[in-house]
Amino acid sequence: MGRLLIALAASGALLLARTAPAATDFDWSVDLRAVASDGEQSRLNGGLGKLRFDSDHDGLRLGEVRAGLRTDLSDTMRLVAEAVAYGDHDVNAVDLTEFYVDWRPIPHSIWRSRVKLGAFYPEISLENRMRGWGSPYTLTYSAINTWVGEELRTIGGEYSLDWLGRSNGHNFDVSLNAAAFGWNDPAGTVIASSGWGLTDRQSTLFGRFNNGGRPNTQRTLFYDDMDKRAGYHFGITANYRGLLELHALHYDNRADLADASTVIQDTTWQTYFDSLGARYTPTAALTLIGQWLHGRTLAGLGPPVNAWTFDSEFLLASWQHGVMRYSARYDRFASQQTASNFLPYVENKYFGDRGHAWTLAGARHFGEHWSAIAEGLYVQSWVAQRTISSEYGGLDIPANASERQWQLAVRYQR
Amino acid sequence: MACTVLSVPGLAVGASALSVTVFGADGKPLEGAVVIAEPAAGSPHPSLGSKSIAVMDQRNLMFVPDVLVVQTGTAVDFPNSDQVRHQVYSFSPAKPFQLALYGGRAHAPVVFDHAGLVTLGCNIHDSMIGYIWVTDSPWFGRTGTNGTLQLRDIASGDYTVRIWHTRLSETGPQLETHVHVEDGAPLAASFHLRHALKAELMHHGADKKWADY
Repeated sequence: MGRLLIALAASGALLLARTAPAATDFDWSVDLRAVASDGEQSRLNGGLGKLRFDSDHDGLRLGEVRAGLRTDLSDTMRLVAEAVAYGDHDVNAVDLTEFYVDWRPIPHSIWRSRVKLGAFYPEISLENRMRGWGSPYTLTYSAINTWVGEELRTIGGEYSLDWLGRSNGHNFDVSLNAAAFGWNDPAGTVIASSGWGLTDRQSTLFGRFNNGGRPNTQRTLFYDDMDKRAGYHFGITANYRGLLELHALHYDNRADLADASTVIQDTTWQTYFDSLGARYTPTAALTLIGQWLHGRTLAGLGPPVNAWTFDSEFLLASWQHGVMRYSARYDRFASQQTASNFLPYVENKYFGDRGHAWTLAGARHFGEHWSAIAEGLYVQSWVAQRTISSEYGGLDIPANASERQWQLAVRYQR
Repeated sequence: MACTVLSVPGLAVGASALSVTVFGADGKPLEGAVVIAEPAAGSPHPSLGSKSIAVMDQRNLMFVPDVLVVQTGTAVDFPNSDQVRHQVYSFSPAKPFQLALYGGRAHAPVVFDHAGLVTLGCNIHDSMIGYIWVTDSPWFGRTGTNGTLQLRDIASGDYTVRIWHTRLSETGPQLETHVHVEDGAPLAASFHLRHALKAELMHHGADKKWADY
């Protein structure tokens, strides 16, 4: 409750700090939840459960308090800051998820350049399209975007070149983007140690993450640069008349494994992946989204070098009917360790998980400021490292688990 | 023959009138088609006279109306009725312009002084597309729910009648026809599109919860 009060106070302070120049746009929201869960100990509480809320952490909960600030530094340059409080055990009660400057000159031809500098999400999710990187469809993000929210942030610069076909009589726009970044060397820690998750808990720029508990109980600092070597990602997006939007992204943090330390939170993880996504909006009421991601992560000096593959995909359908929105999503996910140099310490078990999940949500708006979202989530998973015995610092529980989580969120936003 | 022109004697007495009906490829009357009757080269282009200001509003991340037809020299106001700010631009040769980021009514009306099609965009919301047809002719409009537009008080002479639609998926001679107007002899022209219209543009909500970019 103390943390909740701190979060609410911080939100209020931000509100009072609001100045009213026309060039500043401030918005905030509060999300309170009633939760019922039979989940295993959550990955957020040191366990290997897949959900945000487990059976020991349900009841009345803070979903989040978030505040967003958009300030125009000039007519074409904007500063964006997103702050959030989750009321959980992170080191900072309020922290930033994004903080960047966006330069977007007014186009004088069909080509437009854009530049982003700071800390922001790569253009990967077709689901997280609300301010603060939230989803309008479900409370819980897909497994793919749960992981993106947990482990990825571009801290650096991104250049985009847009071909504005639709402003010139064509049917589609195309955009190419490329980014160079640092401070993402630990990316891969969570997927390797805990596998995939299904939460709406984004990591924060200065926060920590209690990564799966055992056998690696350390809390990970996500956004750190150990090797002084820049990573990159590049991608393409295309939009056909607003009906069909396609995203493709290749990411590689180019972490230098020679920079590995014996302490996991100081270890570089070389992580690279490809992601493809499509959003189809055949009518104003219906939205269909699909995304696929496949990657690898490597850590340690070896021999052998620890290696994992991970992949997931989801399909989401959402139907808007007046003030109601109904959404359903199916996720499938798997990760598999393919090489290990610590087998003797974990009962000769390779890490890995696989499973699938169904998420059903219904949302209703009550006027301009209030909304309520009910969500049911069922996830069936197998996680190899759940079976590691307590002698080895493991959880010593069955590898298979079926978890259910019911949430009713009440949101107020201004 | 995609366009037909009929003389309709006795339909009206006095000023000449031209009734234009547009049918989609499905044979149903097409609402919202732009119709412009341009006097043949050398003929005078009378001014509409009244210089009222036309309005291109911005509501729910859309330009409203989606297409505006104005006579050359008309000033167009661009109020922003959304909660979020817009930054309207065009790089169309007929009228390149930009309106610095704004909400409400921050900018003076823009005068459209060259004929042609002007495509509007918003630099903040790439999904927003709007059109302004600028024509030297005073005889223009959009078809109603019955697919028909009545053009009145047309002077005698030769005219090229053109049609256009925001979702048109075809080009070709079927989109224009030539007519000769004589005093007191009303005409009716009809157009039949050959191809189905493109799908409607899709938009998401315009409140502050949605990310701009």
